[in-house]
Amino acid sequence: MNVWIEKQRYIIDFTISSLMRRKVKNIGLLVLYTLIVFILASTMFFTYAIKREAAFILEGSPEIVVQNLVAGRHDLLPVSYLEEIKSIRGVANVESRLWGYFYDSLVGANYTLMTPPQNQDSHKNQGKTTVVENDNGDPHANHEAHALFEYEGALLESGTLIIGNGVARMRGIGKDDYMPFMAADGQIMNMKIVGKLSSVSELVSSDLILMSEADLRKLFGISPDKVTDAIVTVRNPSEIQTVAGKIKKRIHSARPIIRDEILRTYSSIFNWRGGMMIVIFSAAVLAFVIFAWDKASGLSAGERQEIGILKAVGWETGDVIQMKFWEGAIVSLSAFLGGVILAYIHVFFTGSAIFEPALEGWSNLYPNFTLTPFINAEQLTTLFFLTVIPYTVATIVPTWRAATIDPDSAMRHTGG
Amino acid sequence: MIELMNVRKVFNAGKPSEFSAVNGVSLHIPENKVTVLKGPSGSGKTTLLSIVGCMSRPSAGRVKLKEREITSLPERFLTDIRRSTFGFIFQQPNLIKGITVLENVMLPAYPLGEKRSHLKARAHRGLSELSLTGKAASKVEWLSGGEAQRVSIVRALINNPSIIIADEPTAHLDTKLSYRFMEIVEKFKAEGKTVIITSHDPLVYESKMIDKVVNLRDGKIEENPT
Ligand SMILES: Nc1ncnc2c1ncn2[C@@H]1O[C@H](COP(=O)(O)OP(=O)(O)OP(=O)(O)O)[C@@H](O)[C@H]1O
Ligand SMILES: [Mg+2]
Repeated sequence: MNVWIEKQRYIIDFTISSLMRRKVKNIGLLVLYTLIVFILASTMFFTYAIKREAAFILEGSPEIVVQNLVAGRHDLLPVSYLEEIKSIRGVANVESRLWGYFYDSLVGANYTLMTPPQNQDSHKNQGKTTVVENDNGDPHANHEAHALFEYEGALLESGTLIIGNGVARMRGIGKDDYMPFMAADGQIMNMKIVGKLSSVSELVSSDLILMSEADLRKLFGISPDKVTDAIVTVRNPSEIQTVAGKIKKRIHSARPIIRDEILRTYSSIFNWRGGMMIVIFSAAVLAFVIFAWDKASGLSAGERQEIGILKAVGWETGDVIQMKFWEGAIVSLSAFLGGVILAYIHVFFTGSAIFEPALEGWSNLYPNFTLTPFINAEQLTTLFFLTVIPYTVATIVPTWRAATIDPDSAMRHTGG
Repeated sequence: MIELMNVRKVFNAGKPSEFSAVNGVSLHIPENKVTVLKGPSGSGKTTLLSIVGCMSRPSAGRVKLKEREITSLPERFLTDIRRSTFGFIFQQPNLIKGITVLENVMLPAYPLGEKRSHLKARAHRGLSELSLTGKAASKVEWLSGGEAQRVSIVRALINNPSIIIADEPTAHLDTKLSYRFMEIVEKFKAEGKTVIITSHDPLVYESKMIDKVVNLRDGKIEENPT
């Protein structure tokens, strides 16, 4: 056993000095390889993380949203409708929402302004009756329901704000800073920031600003008898469709939007992004195949001669193959690690900067948002089998061919 | 010790470039003696040596080593014999470029997994015997032709072989070093080793310690050389 270990040590040492002496070639190889792993890993991390965000958003989204239509367009909803909806059989709860968009000309971004959910408990309840497909790796999958965002500790009263991370980053502001708004009546409202939103998914909270109901009504000039829309919780999930129909019947101007429709909208966006990613992904796989193939077919005259010498001085075919195995393993493992780490930084810390052109629309929609870091063993294993294994095999195969020929003919007429 | 029976070697058989380098050689190489193979360039000396040293297989005929038929042994056993029995000094030094002299010398012992400190000590001793102590850490491409040749001699001896095969060992050495080499050969003989040398250097084949001279021409043994 000791002999075996010692032998491996010798072989590894020799492999490393082998790699060192073709420094330029091997570093070039390593860089190229790392780059391919990087692209593969980036696309993979990105698509997984985006899908997970989507699942997360859907988990927390309401079963039915009721909007009021005036002349075919989304309008404010009269408060009186709420009682009307509540009286419909099968409806568990109705909650009103106040929200709107605010354009910040200073940084050229749109924020979503909202009053905090009236009752965090009821917010939670709405999720309990629903089943949302979720990733197994998601630590939150076990909780049946949860709030989309949290702002523990901060107390929201009139004149104060709680802002999302994206807003904070973009404006370069934080707790205890002031943020001025121009209200609908032309008055300037100077609001104090009392906290930041924390969320598992930044996608949800990035552009969000929470303010009190009175402030929001003043800012947008919404009269007290109107709200933006209502969210409806249904007693029995199988009745969602029926309840939506009843709402429509009872209130002619109402437009109930059920979660499945939201799901469809989201998944069409995500699928399109995913499609782009698959294109990039397959291009990278292709590049890797060409690269590995080139490696497999190209054993230089020098390398052949070396194998001949090693065999002539008493190395077995197996020893030579072990050496090449270590060579392949060292190169591909370091490229794998390097590529994966770079991709992780790229996707989760730089907002997939390199994919920016492909994600143009996205970054307009959600300015400055970063994906929540998320990788699992499955992704890493897939990557490993796509890169390290084929590469190592590709290094061994030509060696095996060269190592089985006579040392005499492998060495002949090549000088030394 | 070594018995060759009607050995032939044909290269590129069946192709237009077919070439028969060794044509039915039968030869006995005695134990603990120095045998010299001599003959013009291209007469098949190197080819014959590599068959004797288990580096390639004959196309026909048989080779016996210590009464053991080795022609039909599987590759694994041939490697094993090559490593434990033979020390091969090639016509070209055949060193591996880019690594140090010391590593080159230790290379044949790597698969044995011996303790590193022992192996290193042995390698250093070998190098000092051929006045190469100062070169241990040099890269082989910096060596002169003669130094490279001597390194390849040290490498051939690292596993303490009982049969030493030297293909034109003095080709790159000056007269003084050639004499030095013959002294080493004498020492091998004194240690009970068997030595096989090819050479067209009179300094070698006319040396008094040579026990047997074999003349090759066109892949055949010449019984009465002119
Ligand atoms: N792998 C091979 N394929 C084809 N021909 C070969 C091969 N190896 C050797 N030969 C030929 O066999 C002949 C004998 O070669 P060998 O190397 O044994 O000669 P040699 O006696 O050692 O010559 P020298 O004194 O120049 O070293 C040469 O003509 C050579 O071209
Ligand atoms: Mg020769």
